[in-house]
Amino acid sequence: MRFGPLLAAALIVVGLAGCATRPPASDPEALAEFEANNDPLEPWNRGMYAVNDVVDTVLLRPAAVAYRTLVPPPVRDGVRNALGNLRAPTILMNDLLQGEMDRAGRTGARFLINSTLGLGGLVDVAEWQFGIAGHGEDFGQTLAVWGVGEGPFPFLPLLGPSNPRDLLGFGVDAVASPWFWFGQGEIVEILRLVRAGMTVLDTREGVLDVLDQVNATSLDPYSTLRSAYRQRRAAEIRHTGPVAPEAAGGTGFGVGLGVPVPAPGSVAPPQPQR
Amino acid sequence: MQMTRRALSGLALTLPGFSPSALAQVDATRAMAFIQTTGNAMVEALNSTTLNLTQRRDEVATILRQAVDMEGTGRFILGRWWRVASPAERQEYLRLFEETLVRNLAGRFGEFQGVRFALGRSQRRTEDDVLVTTIVERPGAAAFNLDWRVAEINGQPRIVDLVAEGTSLRLTQRSEYSSVVQRGGNQVSALLAAMRGQLQQMQARQ
Repeated sequence: MRFGPLLAAALIVVGLAGCATRPPASDPEALAEFEANNDPLEPWNRGMYAVNDVVDTVLLRPAAVAYRTLVPPPVRDGVRNALGNLRAPTILMNDLLQGEMDRAGRTGARFLINSTLGLGGLVDVAEWQFGIAGHGEDFGQTLAVWGVGEGPFPFLPLLGPSNPRDLLGFGVDAVASPWFWFGQGEIVEILRLVRAGMTVLDTREGVLDVLDQVNATSLDPYSTLRSAYRQRRAAEIRHTGPVAPEAAGGTGFGVGLGVPVPAPGSVAPPQPQR
Repeated sequence: MQMTRRALSGLALTLPGFSPSALAQVDATRAMAFIQTTGNAMVEALNSTTLNLTQRRDEVATILRQAVDMEGTGRFILGRWWRVASPAERQEYLRLFEETLVRNLAGRFGEFQGVRFALGRSQRRTEDDVLVTTIVERPGAAAFNLDWRVAEINGQPRIVDLVAEGTSLRLTQRSEYSSVVQRGGNQVSALLAAMRGQLQQMQARQ
């Protein structure tokens, strides 16, 4: 977890080697599309997409399928709730940094209620009994609200579609979280690893149907994911459209792909009350 | 993009023989009523107890064929490659596009048994269309937002885009198709070949 941002920076530097050719000014439509795609590193990104595809096929997808098959929905719900609750301090920080006092109040209330009555976050009592729905938030979004642009699109193995702004946000969120500073020793380290592992599993399970759908129907899944991810992220930053699950990290597959096809009985992310 | 569109609409009005009906603004109330009717028809088909899965899919496909502006949406998605395509390629593209879209959506919606939908409160207007928001609910799954972009095509309201969870289907698909054309050496025929293959696979599966 801690080396994630460093690794990401290193990958971006390496990526500069694989640049796409910018269309000439004599072809304004091709140039406009090139700029709209925001993907100057496309050849390198497609390479990383292929790497990810292999890792996903042999490891991540089977793990997510096994997780869904073997673990009953209420338990998976509990895991997602707990992961979301662990992210609550981060969400609260970003609500505040964006000046969203109302949302911050809800996040704070949810954290207090779910950490206590909700048995350490396993049960979402705040929504179930008090009707306080949760929402995701991260420092990448805060930077966007502050006017920072997303930067060129990268596709990263394991993490998925992203951008430099959200990667920076991901790093800041990780370091700013109390869980980064709180506790030491072997047990705490194991708990951190368990959390990281469960986050990956929960995230992959959450997009199982969506990614299957994209891979089955898209003629070019890479460009479909690139377009869908960037649109989805923009909608999330504007606070329009549906709300990302709290457990979602600030970037990658976790923030959702905007193609909702959850299987019946699968874990439902919290929905906005509007 | 917006500027260009505005400039083009302005230009269109000054050009004789340019059909103004294609650019007419759709009335928001009418667009909502249209989505309500279309949605009701789809829900009725999907929740039918007398039809089997294949029949439900066929029924949804029929509704979609009537409700979606196939030509306009298809042209939008092919984007800058439409002008490059030969008349025969355009014709085949539109045929493949309609077939793929209908099969895709009907296949996806076909499994939505017990579905309910409600019109959302917010209706956003743009220059030439209305975004009608709906909330789709299914038993045992999270409700989600599905927005329908409705434009007036030859005097009738028609669906020109579907926006699921903030992601526009036509924008995503335009990016996908353009990628296939470019990677096939900037040839529309490469896209058509890929679409043909995809359609065959879908037919084999259904």
